[in-house]
Formats: sequence, structure tokens, C-alpha cells
Amino acid sequence: MPEEPDIELSFRGGRLVSALPIAFFIAWAIFQSGILGIGDTTGLVAGMLTGLIVGLLFVRGDWKDYADVVFAGMTRRVAATAVVAWLWAGMFAETIQVGGFVDGLVWAATALNVGPGLFPAVTFLLAALLATGIGTGYGTAIAFTSLVFPAGLLLGANPVLLFGAILSGAVFGDNLAPVSDTTIVSAVTQDADIGGVVASRVKYAVVAAVLAIAAYLAAGFGIPGVVSGMPHANVTGQVDATVSAWGLVHLLDIAIVIVLAVRGRHIIEAISWGLIAAAVFNVALGAADLIDVSAASMLLFRAPQNGLTQAVDALPLLGAVVETVPGGQAGVGGSIYSGAAGFFPLIVLTLLLVAGAEIMRAGGGFDAIQELLIDRVATTVRRAETTMVLGTALVNATVTINTAAEIAIAPYIATLGKRFNINGYRRANILDANTSALGYIFPWGGGLLAGFGAMQGLVGGNGTPWFTQEMLVNPASVWPYVFHGWFLVAVFLVAAWTGYGREYVSDRTSEEVSRV
Amino acid sequence: MSRLDKLLKGWTFRTATPSFEPGDVITAFVTHSDGDGVSSRIGDSVLRIEGETDVDIETKVRLKVTSFDEQNHVGTAEIVEFLGEF
Repeated sequence: MPEEPDIELSFRGGRLVSALPIAFFIAWAIFQSGILGIGDTTGLVAGMLTGLIVGLLFVRGDWKDYADVVFAGMTRRVAATAVVAWLWAGMFAETIQVGGFVDGLVWAATALNVGPGLFPAVTFLLAALLATGIGTGYGTAIAFTSLVFPAGLLLGANPVLLFGAILSGAVFGDNLAPVSDTTIVSAVTQDADIGGVVASRVKYAVVAAVLAIAAYLAAGFGIPGVVSGMPHANVTGQVDATVSAWGLVHLLDIAIVIVLAVRGRHIIEAISWGLIAAAVFNVALGAADLIDVSAASMLLFRAPQNGLTQAVDALPLLGAVVETVPGGQAGVGGSIYSGAAGFFPLIVLTLLLVAGAEIMRAGGGFDAIQELLIDRVATTVRRAETTMVLGTALVNATVTINTAAEIAIAPYIATLGKRFNINGYRRANILDANTSALGYIFPWGGGLLAGFGAMQGLVGGNGTPWFTQEMLVNPASVWPYVFHGWFLVAVFLVAAWTGYGREYVSDRTSEEVSRV
Repeated sequence: MSRLDKLLKGWTFRTATPSFEPGDVITAFVTHSDGDGVSSRIGDSVLRIEGETDVDIETKVRLKVTSFDEQNHVGTAEIVEFLGEF
């Protein structure tokens, strides 16, 4: 964990005013995406920037300290981790997509007779499997929204339900995967071994997942899928014999990523190997004329026409990724470019949000909340555990990047839990389950925005030329359908009240912290 | 403890007021410390720690239970070992 800087801030109006930048941002996000229905991430960046400036006006003393805290927040490792995961997962997902993976999935779903009713439940299971393997819910949300979401639309599955199923799978993996950053943070901050933490949380995850599968089946068959009048109606059912199964070859690159991640390789290393494999498959499948893909699908320099660029275009090898265009259309393209570029606004937003959370810490906003909780609210073990569940939910509503939220709330969970001698495993489970769940439910949550960012990339994308702006799912409409997330929170509220799974420090001592 | 044991542990409903027998030796955090004394709260049961007046909260200790009242979920214990702060 990064070292905390020593700077403390004082705000006019008290410690809770330090929450102003984030509170301002949330109000902006609700107004923009919830009320006006504008899912523009760069608009949220403008909101957070404005919030940081508004917060500055309330600082007592030297404004330089406020600026230093902003820098300290933006340079935290947790922010860099999210940035790296998005860039790499974005490139990987886009490269698989131009390689016909969506067509392959549609072919498989048709061959196995998975209809639109069953598709959301199957999607949840597959997304959960991938997320548990690669340990990044954000990466899973990106990959599945890029790859499986369009396949589901073509089969006629309900778009909002399908997006909810993908996010649910991401929640499951974020919660349970031993290599998930949230799992590691939950174990380390509660002094418990990761293997023991994962084993002890199966009892909650399984209960929630069984309920979620039942809910996706019921909703899949109960809620109409794509109906006439919806923008998707024109493309639904356009699955026919022309769909190629060859894109399923990319299951191999996904397997490479999962195996390497489970073996503890760094996410950069694991996804880079998967990306290299995907690129090799694409070039080979394109050369064999099995799929309409080439090196230029992954990287393309569109150079303004002149003597030099035409000479380069004519070169062997290098010429394959260069084409000459009229001056006004010059630019760089391909899946490597667009996969990464799709996340630039989200990356900037993340850095600013983490800065906002740092201001709340330095200004004492988090401390004020903790004191209130211990003195007034958490007076019995049931109330303490309920407070831990709801407190984690509240912080996730404000910080939105769930790993950052988890790091922020972890010390309070430890303090509250130890006051009642609640076991480290139980504390880690309460912390991680609710962090994982809420990060994908709130419309401004990082996981949900990651998936939405990927969905925006589908508009006019190389692999999905039929996908239009009107087919985007409004981020503010998906929250009721993230069933696994809701059930996970519900399981913990019930567990806090009934004592299901509760263990005390005196019942067993958790083993020493190690990575697995 | 094996992985399987870890997986199967805790699939139960645990009471908010755990009971102890005199003579039990348990690990717990000190949860309350003031001028009147020191105690350890486990769930909603409280063990008053005898013979100590100045131990920091969140100090992990091994306690030997010396008495326990099942009705009121309160008892007494003495520290047999300091395990440090975690």
C-alpha cells in the first residue's frame, strides 16, 4: 500500500466539507447521466475538474497544500493499476473483436441453441468464469461488452439485461478471484491470508450466484428481448450461415491470459501474451481468407497522399499497415489504437477521482464519519456488521473506483470489526463483497463506466458496423439488473443480522498474509 | 488447516453472544480500556480482564477465562500472553 502523505487540510465549515469535490461530482454525474441521459465520460471529467476547483475555495490557509494533495492522490499506485488494466484490456478486447470473435460466439450460441431467453444467464456464468480467472472485473466488463454484448443483441437478447449480466459476472470475479486486486487489498488490510479469505467467502458468493442465475433465467424469459420499435430490431436475427466459427480460435488467447494470470503473472505480462497470440491468429486467419481481417485491422497509418507516403505504402511488410488518404482524413487507426484510446477519458476521470478521495482523507472527512459510526451507530455486533456493509457501500458510492474505495474504507472496517472481535476473514469478506458489488451498480461506478466505454467503442466499430449510437444502454438504467451485485449485498445484510458465516477472533486465527 | 477445511468452515449461524467456559484459553483483541479497567468484547459478550489497568485498545492477547455468566453474557478473564498489536 502507498504511504500516506503528511499533509492535512482544514476546510471552512468543518471536516465534512472535504467531501465537497466528490459530492459535487456525484451531483453532476446524477444530473448528467441520470436526469439528462448523457453518458459522455469526458463530461464527467469536466464535472470532477469543476468539483476540485469548488473545493479549493473552502480551504483555510495555503492553497498550495490542496494542490499537493491533488498530486499525491493522482500518483497513487491504485490509480496506475486501473489505468494499466484498462489500456491493456482495451487493446486485447478490440483485437479479438476485429478477429471475428463475436461472429464465433454467435455461431456457437446458434449451434448450441442458446436463445435470447437463456443468453443472459449463460453470459453471467461465462463472465464470472473469465473474471475469476483474470482477476479483473473491469477487464471482464470491457471484454464481454466488446465481444459478447453485440453477439447477444444479434440473437435478440434484452440489451439492458445483458449488460447487467456482464456486470454481474465481473462482480463475481472481482469478489472471488485470488488474483483480483480487491481480494488482495481485503486480505492484506484485515491481516488474513489470501487463500483462507477466498475459501471463506465461497459460502456467500455461491448463495448470491445461485439466486442471480435464477433471476437471469426468470428475467431472460420474462422480460421481452429486442422488440420492434427498438433500434436493435433491425439487426436482430441477422444471424445466418455466413457467420464464421473461426473467431472462436480466440478462446485460445483468452485461455493464455487466464492461465498466466492464475499463475500469478502480472496483468501487463498476461494480457501482452494474449495480445500477441491474438495478433498472430488474426494475420494467419486473414491470410488464409477464413476471416476478413489483416494487420491493418490492428494498426493502420492513414497518411496524407504525397510522393514519400506513396513510396512507403508500396513497401513490403511496412506497406501493409500504411495507406494513403486525402489530407483531411489522415490519422492512425486499428484495434491497438482504438482499443486504448477508448479509455482515455475514463483514465483521466479516475486520476481526478482518486485525487478527490485524497482530499477527503487529508481534510478529515473520512475520520469524521468513522467517529460518528463508532460512537453512535455500531453499538452491537449486528449493528456493527450492518454498518460495515452499508459503510462500504457508501464509500463505494463516493470513490467509484472500487479498489480505491476499498483502500479508503479498509481501516474503518478493521477498527469497527476489532471492537467486536470479528474474525479477519469475516471482515475481509464484508469489505470485499460489498466493494465488488457496488462498484458495478452505481451509474457512475468505474466498473460500469468501463463496460459503457467499451460499448461506446462498438458504435461504428470495425467488428460491429451495424451498431449505432441509439443502441447504447443508458448507464443509469442498468442498476436494477446487476442481480449478483444486489444479491451479494443482500446476503451480507442477512448474514450480519442472522450471524450466517460469522466468526470471531476467538474461533480461529487467520494465517499470515501471503499472496496466495 | 487444509484448504478443504477452510472452505467448509463457518457455514453456520453464529450467535451474537458467544459463551465461554472457565478455563478456556482464547485469542482476542482488547476492545475497551479506561480508568476503571480493561475488557474484551467478543460479539456482544464481554470479558472483563482482571489484574490489568493499562493495555491499549486493539492489543491482541491470549486470555484465560476465569468465570462466565451465561445469562448476562459477561465474564472475567486474565491475560496469559501478549501477542502484540495487529
